[in-house]
Amino acid sequence: MMNLIREFWQSIVRRDPLSTDKGKSELVFFNVWLHVHPAKVKKQNLRFKHTFYLGFITFFLFVILLTTGIALMCYYRPYPPQAYQDMKDLQFVVFMGPFLRAMHRWAAHGMVICVFLHMCRVFYTGSYKKPRQFNWVIGVFLLLLTLSLSFTGYLLPWDQLAYWAITVGTNIGSYAPIVGGQLRELLLGGHSVGEAALLRFYVLHVAVLPTLIILLTIVHFWRVRKDGGLSRPVWKLKPSKTETLVTIGSPLEIAPLKTGPASKDKTYGLMEVVTGKPIFETVTPEEEEDAVFSYPYAFFREAIALMVTVTGIMAISLFFHAPLEELANPAKTPNPAKAPWYFLGLQELVSHSALLGGVVAPALMVIVLLAIPYYDRNSSRRPSDRKWALWLFSIFVVANLILIVVGTFFRGPGWALIPPWVHVVAGAE
Amino acid sequence: MNRRAFLNWGTAGLVALCAGVGVSLGAVLRFLVPSVFYEPPQSLKIGNPADFPFGAPTFLADEKIYVFRDRDKGFAVASAVCTHLGCTVGYLQSDQRFHCPCHGSVFGANGAVQHGPAPRALNWFEVTLTRDGQLRVDKDKVVPSNYRLMV
Repeated sequence: MMNLIREFWQSIVRRDPLSTDKGKSELVFFNVWLHVHPAKVKKQNLRFKHTFYLGFITFFLFVILLTTGIALMCYYRPYPPQAYQDMKDLQFVVFMGPFLRAMHRWAAHGMVICVFLHMCRVFYTGSYKKPRQFNWVIGVFLLLLTLSLSFTGYLLPWDQLAYWAITVGTNIGSYAPIVGGQLRELLLGGHSVGEAALLRFYVLHVAVLPTLIILLTIVHFWRVRKDGGLSRPVWKLKPSKTETLVTIGSPLEIAPLKTGPASKDKTYGLMEVVTGKPIFETVTPEEEEDAVFSYPYAFFREAIALMVTVTGIMAISLFFHAPLEELANPAKTPNPAKAPWYFLGLQELVSHSALLGGVVAPALMVIVLLAIPYYDRNSSRRPSDRKWALWLFSIFVVANLILIVVGTFFRGPGWALIPPWVHVVAGAE
Repeated sequence: MNRRAFLNWGTAGLVALCAGVGVSLGAVLRFLVPSVFYEPPQSLKIGNPADFPFGAPTFLADEKIYVFRDRDKGFAVASAVCTHLGCTVGYLQSDQRFHCPCHGSVFGANGAVQHGPAPRALNWFEVTLTRDGQLRVDKDKVVPSNYRLMV
């Protein structure tokens, strides 16, 4: 009997015991879920202050969103006005309904924040530079998908907040030259936000966009690994020295196909299995001594990050419920009518000019973000070498924050500039 | 197969492939455009002329229109949809202007933009009298702001 159990166990787990180095490597290498990790990681890269684990936290928030989202789908019908009644049910009838909805809501907000902070971290550490340029581009698309998911999810409760945020949001899109109007009709499946729009947003929110974001996330993680794992912490960078370029992976007589930083340095990994030299960062012998096995060092930290993220969202959801206003009423626009907070910067711009603020500025912003790794020709990652880049990006971040803060706290009825400490009597008109 | 035949067939195949993909994409796009809109009609009867008072305009919430009735000039119908981003504007009798709650656009009594980001004046719709003596508004027919129906 014991033999049968052992045989069964060994048919699942084929690695050596974890007490051996080979076992630790094989745990990673023979496991489809873990093998996106390297077998060994640089100790320095595990430091919290290098990445703040923002990528992991974003991913964990997404997992929370997937699970709570699927749970919520069991009680939701995507047509008005049942959609709103279902929200009421979730709030007052369904067991743990308010809690699950709050978790979904706060995790969504958290994901928008963490994606943005993750982007800032990657910029400030210069981690988008060669060979990681394309992964930055994928990251920008993931940011856009995150925003799209938030936006489509925002309509589903079918309350006043949802209805008018989407009315304003989709009308911004219709200012796009030539195709704007048709694009809006295609998105809404009609001429105004109605049943067709709710169904389309639902399909986008639960099927199309999650599929896209999962596919791109896979590519994103894969590229992190193929580009040499996490970038070296900035404080570990050596003073710049002239880099010699060597040819990798091509026979001597043929012109170099790919070049990379050279050297006598070694790369690590399971060399018995992976042949050829990877194109990514190499490590010096002393750094290799600084490397540790992913199991348990990296996995332990990831597990902590997962637990902190989940506990954090659960704790917030216990105390703060997701808002729900009255049933959507196309005849009555709330005053002021505001988009979700992360679009309030956009709405602030739009309040000055719909075309410039709503279409040109955001389009430029996206294009500039996408192109950053290609027009930043400075190869150095050290902060002292990239003062200009850091300043420009900081201005970009601060400008966005100011616009959002103004839109959120300083805009009252009729979009008038009213500081938050001044009390306005509602319905004073 | 010689080179000429290969290139000919290859080109033809490539063209056929592109055409196939193009037609399929077009079909998908067309599929996403509804053939029937289950939306409120654009042209609708709003009631008898006598139902509407003189002076302050009547707001019809479902239709998103303001019906003006003037003792001397007759009927006029203004759209309540802000030309900026589609919020519903409110008419204030006190200052006789339309105010948009979303981005603070202000329109005069004739619908012209007086303040704010709105790019165009509010629309005025054609209003006619039907055979059974009711008012009919056609939202597909935009008329100048001085258009009036005398009853």
